Amino acid sequence: MQDIQGEEGDFTVKVVSHPRYVDMDKCIACGACAEKCPKRVASEYNAGLNKRKAAYVQYAQAVPLKYAIDAPNCLYFLKGKCKACQKFCPTGAVNYEQQELTRDIKVGSVIISAGFKPFDPSRYVQYSYANFPNVVTALEFERILAASGPWMGHLVRPSDEAEPKKIAWIQCVGSRDVNACDHPYCSAVCCMYAIKESVIAKEHSKAGLDAAIFFMDMRTFGKDFERYYDHAKEEGVRFIRSRIHSISERANKSLAIEYATEDGQAMVEDFDLVVLSQGLETSPQTIELCQKLGIELNDSSFINTSCFAPVATSRPGVYVCGALAGPKDIPLSVMEASAAACAAAGKLSSARGTLAKEQEVPPQRNVAGDTPRIGVFVCSCGINIAGVVDVQAVAEYARSLPYVAYVENNLFTCSQDTQDKMTAVIEEQNLNRVVVAACTPRTHEPLFQETLVSAGLNRYLFDMANIRNQNSWVHAGEPEAATEKAKDLVRMAVAKAALLQPLSEVQLEVEPSAMVIGGGVAGMNAALELASQGYKTHLVERDSALGGNARLLRVTAQNDQVAPYLADLEARLQAEPNIALHLGTTIKDVEGFVGNFKTTLAGEGGEEVVEHGAAIIATGAAEYKPSEYLYGQNPKVMTHLEMDGALQSGELDPKKVNSLVLIQCVGSREPERPYCSKVCCTHSVETALHFKKDNPDCQVVILYRDIRTFGRRELLYKEARGKGVLFVRFDLDHKPKVEASGQGLTVTVRDHVLGRDLLIEADLVGLASAIVSHRAQDLAQMFKVPLDADGWFLEAHQKLRPVDFATDGVFMAGLAHYPKPLEEAVAQAQAAVARAVTVLSAKKMMLPGTVAWIDQSKCVGCGVCWTVCPYQAITADDKGLALVNEALCKGCGTCVASCRSGAPNLRGFTNQDVMAQIMAM
Amino acid sequence: MSEKAEFQPRIAAFLCNWCSYGAADLAGVSRLQYPPNIHVIRIPCTGRMSPKFILQAFRQGIDGVWVSG
Repeated sequence: MQDIQGEEGDFTVKVVSHPRYVDMDKCIACGACAEKCPKRVASEYNAGLNKRKAAYVQYAQAVPLKYAIDAPNCLYFLKGKCKACQKFCPTGAVNYEQQELTRDIKVGSVIISAGFKPFDPSRYVQYSYANFPNVVTALEFERILAASGPWMGHLVRPSDEAEPKKIAWIQCVGSRDVNACDHPYCSAVCCMYAIKESVIAKEHSKAGLDAAIFFMDMRTFGKDFERYYDHAKEEGVRFIRSRIHSISERANKSLAIEYATEDGQAMVEDFDLVVLSQGLETSPQTIELCQKLGIELNDSSFINTSCFAPVATSRPGVYVCGALAGPKDIPLSVMEASAAACAAAGKLSSARGTLAKEQEVPPQRNVAGDTPRIGVFVCSCGINIAGVVDVQAVAEYARSLPYVAYVENNLFTCSQDTQDKMTAVIEEQNLNRVVVAACTPRTHEPLFQETLVSAGLNRYLFDMANIRNQNSWVHAGEPEAATEKAKDLVRMAVAKAALLQPLSEVQLEVEPSAMVIGGGVAGMNAALELASQGYKTHLVERDSALGGNARLLRVTAQNDQVAPYLADLEARLQAEPNIALHLGTTIKDVEGFVGNFKTTLAGEGGEEVVEHGAAIIATGAAEYKPSEYLYGQNPKVMTHLEMDGALQSGELDPKKVNSLVLIQCVGSREPERPYCSKVCCTHSVETALHFKKDNPDCQVVILYRDIRTFGRRELLYKEARGKGVLFVRFDLDHKPKVEASGQGLTVTVRDHVLGRDLLIEADLVGLASAIVSHRAQDLAQMFKVPLDADGWFLEAHQKLRPVDFATDGVFMAGLAHYPKPLEEAVAQAQAAVARAVTVLSAKKMMLPGTVAWIDQSKCVGCGVCWTVCPYQAITADDKGLALVNEALCKGCGTCVASCRSGAPNLRGFTNQDVMAQIMAM
Repeated sequence: MSEKAEFQPRIAAFLCNWCSYGAADLAGVSRLQYPPNIHVIRIPCTGRMSPKFILQAFRQGIDGVWVSG
């Protein structure tokens, strides 16, 4: 992207497509070009640890899987001769004449997700990354561990490719440092990835690995992260709280780490390999681009966003997601991606669907009861299959199989002309089943199914034999055996195809309205965003007022006042005609499924049934009420939310406090609550700064276990230390004691440097108490969604689907998912809306035909199937017999495998289908 | 399968479409080589795996069954 002209709603974006010198329509990703290319180039994908060719695909999972020619390294472009790739390409895809293409694209909104650059640790002289081969970056170590990496996942060190027995990780390389680099922020992800690498390295090690992580504060603040940290300790990973002095190299290329322990002792320990946990930074090119586009960066060179609009840049209509807006991990980046999509689509909602076209399909031929007439198409895939497998022999063999009426061999079965021909052949030969023996159904099944549809056949009358990815490519040296196996695979596919039945896809209407449960910051934002996308929204809050926990919160991590923001949200909600507000209302019952929920609300005015197509659960969480540290017994001991409330109401005046002690991890990171509440460290640091601002003479002491001021919150921590706030670390075995003494309180804590007890006289003690879930079992059951061990709502996939449930049409946002700061709750609300709109905007939904059904004549109503169904798609009907809800069924077949009487079956993968394949094996 | 003095087992693999079957495809993209005496049946989920499939495979003379997902 070169430039963005225009304004919100009417941008012209200049985009340059660099030539790849490979015609994407012709490339079949066979890899012949790379195999024949003589030029070797350092592989970016493997962090330079091995080589790729100048004709290459960046990595095996690349989408689209198409090769490219790296012109600056290609011999033809450098010296004018070679052309090996063009000569050997079976489809004539290589085209050296391709030119750079500049296009102007008209769009209404723009999302920038240019990501980060891993910090280059060469500039740290003490780590000697550039000089010692066995000092590697964390990204290089990721590639060492990867099955697709240079050593295929075998744990080796670069100097001698021997397996290391001892590995050290050094944290905060290029983070929390203003000496070697100008990065005062915490990179937020390195603690977790270092722990992950250490645990996986131990798994990969054959001889047993000694893993040690050298760190300052262990920042495992995400969902389930603290558990993972505890697990790593149990696995024997050593965590050494220290500062590193230097690394030196021994004669055998092993490394000696000199470090100072917490109590100041100088130590030396040898390791075979050292991994530098490099931080995240913005690349100079991205900084330049942002400056050119007029997008404001903060002083850490990340895009500047506000806590109240976390994905909006300073330029209206331009949004950001991912690490370009500050260091963050995958779940948060994926969540922000959906949030940015929501923000970008919000003002464009009137244009939604205006460029969509309807596809025309011929009427479906009824083949029920007809004798199967199977057409078999054996693909050569250029030489990809035919170079190993005798495809003519396979085709001849296929002719001998039962019900096979027609066989042909194609050079490329997937090419457009072959598809057109296949459509004609199906009609001419009156075929009613089709088998393609080719690459893999995972990439090509939908394409061939479309061909069936265009020939008037039901798409489920199709099967594939995988004779490329799982045959010719993996048995290249055994052509005879591969040919025999191809025959076996075709025989198995034909046996199944003969049994296939046309399946119908149920069409469902979608009710284009939503329900948001919970009227806190997340719920209010979700409702407003849904309304701005044009959907009627019911906002349900059990309390008599909106705002939730944020009503007590004083400021955000960027020191913005929360109260005026809440007032603004509420005013906008009240003025929004698309929102129906249900205060003092709870959910009594939920019926239905994605697109068609019927929810019974119970409020003061009685009960009401509301229909909606999607639901967002944003029911929040509560503050833990401590039983420790004299809380509830002494009025001078308050929780941090109570303190926020008292500061705002004026009941608490910092000028009247001479000594304040704040205690961290009250109820968090304890055996009964083994998670970090994520927001408390930052909150206490903010409170400390607020007291210091109003009363510089006030002594403020923060008692902590690890300071977890992730991202740019680290700057607050640094500022607090600069202003004289004292930080004293304690551990779980030596928790502080709070005792009443005279008018005040005495806090006793074991100092981590002196190893002796400190007695602190305090006027006021603030407790950073945990955030605890509501453990909303009832709501979870009504919407058929799960809770995790700590009572948080459990997402469909922590990284890939962070706001979705496995149950379609239900989404989540805010503290109900896990403790999080306000800006993440806002982003998550936007993300949930973007996901909900994918349902609401569909108008009609087609459900796949491959679902389970129950033969009720065999069902005894034992209930095993509805117990094992992971999607709660099976219920008992009025006779007590099992019934499948096709809208909820995902076609996994667990019910079929579990039933003792054989009542359930799975369409498309019936018992008979699979048995036929086994018998034909 | 050709006659060899050495025992060559026939293996039936039942692979989940979403993970292991994809991994088997990826093994092909990466050109990893393995013996051809393994035949894959794609299933929509390992939850679909019925004990009857395993018994039927053995009845057919299959020497080993691999379920992965």
